[in-house]
Amino acid sequence: MGIIDSFLDTMADLASQSGFAGFLNDGGWKNIIMILISFLFMYLAIAKGFEPLLLLPISFGMLLTNLPFAEMYHPEYWEYLENVPERTGELNSHFIDYSRILQHGGLLDILYCGVKLQIYPPLIFLGIGAMTDFGPLIANPKSFLLGAAAQGGIFFTFVGAALLNMTAAECGSIAIIGGADGPTAIYVSSKLLSKTDSIGVGTIALAAYTYMALVPIIQPPIMRALTTKKERSVVMGQLRSVSKVEKLLFPILVTVIISLMVPSAAPLVGMLMFGNLLKESGCCDRIAKTAQNELMNIITIFLGVSVGATTRADKILTFSFGKVILLGVIAFSIGTACGILLGKLMYVFSHGKINPLIGSAGVSAVPMAARVSQKVGQEEVPTNYLLMHAMGPNVAGVIGSAVAAGVLLSIVQV
Amino acid sequence: MSELLSSAPRLMLKGTDSDLGGGTITSVVITGVVVVFIGLILLIIAVSVYGKIFHSLNQRKDAKAKAEAEAKIREAAKGAPVPEAKVVSNTAAPVIEDGIEEEIVAVIAAAIAAMGAASGKKLALRSIKTSKGARSAWANAGISENTRPF
Repeated sequence: MGIIDSFLDTMADLASQSGFAGFLNDGGWKNIIMILISFLFMYLAIAKGFEPLLLLPISFGMLLTNLPFAEMYHPEYWEYLENVPERTGELNSHFIDYSRILQHGGLLDILYCGVKLQIYPPLIFLGIGAMTDFGPLIANPKSFLLGAAAQGGIFFTFVGAALLNMTAAECGSIAIIGGADGPTAIYVSSKLLSKTDSIGVGTIALAAYTYMALVPIIQPPIMRALTTKKERSVVMGQLRSVSKVEKLLFPILVTVIISLMVPSAAPLVGMLMFGNLLKESGCCDRIAKTAQNELMNIITIFLGVSVGATTRADKILTFSFGKVILLGVIAFSIGTACGILLGKLMYVFSHGKINPLIGSAGVSAVPMAARVSQKVGQEEVPTNYLLMHAMGPNVAGVIGSAVAAGVLLSIVQV
Repeated sequence: MSELLSSAPRLMLKGTDSDLGGGTITSVVITGVVVVFIGLILLIIAVSVYGKIFHSLNQRKDAKAKAEAEAKIREAAKGAPVPEAKVVSNTAAPVIEDGIEEEIVAVIAAAIAAMGAASGKKLALRSIKTSKGARSAWANAGISENTRPF
């Protein structure tokens, strides 16, 4: 009998320690919902091809973090503590105990350090810089204006979020979704959000990447509604060719000007331009290739899976999540509309030489937004190739949203 | 620029403020939009200025190269003055239909020159126009493939 009793006891112990029992705990049903949502995202990534490179790691991170007792990610470790360091003697209300995380944290806690310490987004920018050709922008510097106009969505959404009585940090983090730039959104929100805020970095990242994947669905109706058939049929001529020296000087120039003007944009713009210089210099092929391939892929895995991990059921299934989704799509649409409207203005001033459709590419989402401009333009004139013209505002949008991020960071203080 | 940045401290919001006044919000929006635009306009100015500089430098280089090439041609012409008249007649501007880009003309001219050089004949490009209702390049390739003698 003793053997059977101890066998049953052990089995009961094992059962109560298993994840299945965790689902029956308080709020365990929320984890089940999150796991189902992660399955949905996996389906969207694999079967529908919605940004699979990001959505798949994010959704798997979601799955891992919502398995009860797996202990891969501890949201409680990441809550800000109040601490008075002996060195300064001043109260620090944004203290994170990294030594505890390093000693007791799970794998995803350790990977999340790169998000919280703002390491991954600039490194992703390094890779993006190494992949980007700024030639179309140099050939037609006026594209910068369109890249700036499309950032309008960011600031208008700031108003919307403030009207919904959100905190300044929340307003800033939601607004930056309008920049349509995942790394920038993660960079800003991980810097601003704290435990007093009802939303987390994971929410912002999910919303940002969802909308980036939905660019081809969200943008065209806005583009068609705001332009006339005549404007859409403008055929733009060839861009001038850009010399190598110009391409070499460009990253240096942009880094110096932007970093001096908005110092808090320096990590993003600096790394973006560093990557570009590596590519254009032609003498660092090995490093440039690493930045655009291996390094970028490694960081994407780390970023995706750890951002997914922040979507713990108790953190994300809240009313605020709905607000983020709603405000995010508004931010995005206004950004697109602002770009198109400035495009129309430039159409008038250039006496019909500029196709306003390239304005919508000013929201960053490289190169998807530019492809959308090309596609909508070709619906009117099948032989019209707007792609390279749209790449100008598109890459200007990356710089523009990094600048807007810097402005938000310097206005909203943590 | 410095005035704008020095106005920033007045705008600083605490991350935890939840009741932002209308004035604060407006100033955030205005500062934000203005700073982004000024930053990118500065870049426009910088990029177009150096674009112009390089453009004029390149043009000067091109002009120099052209002058040198012309000088060479003149020297060569002095050595062999006979074919000059022929050259002139051959380089009479070809008739090019509207809407055909310069690059395409250049490509066609180069292809003809290459053909001429290969067969040892002197060929001239007289006119370029778009063909209407002709077979596509692929169809032509297919026909020549099927009708070529063994």
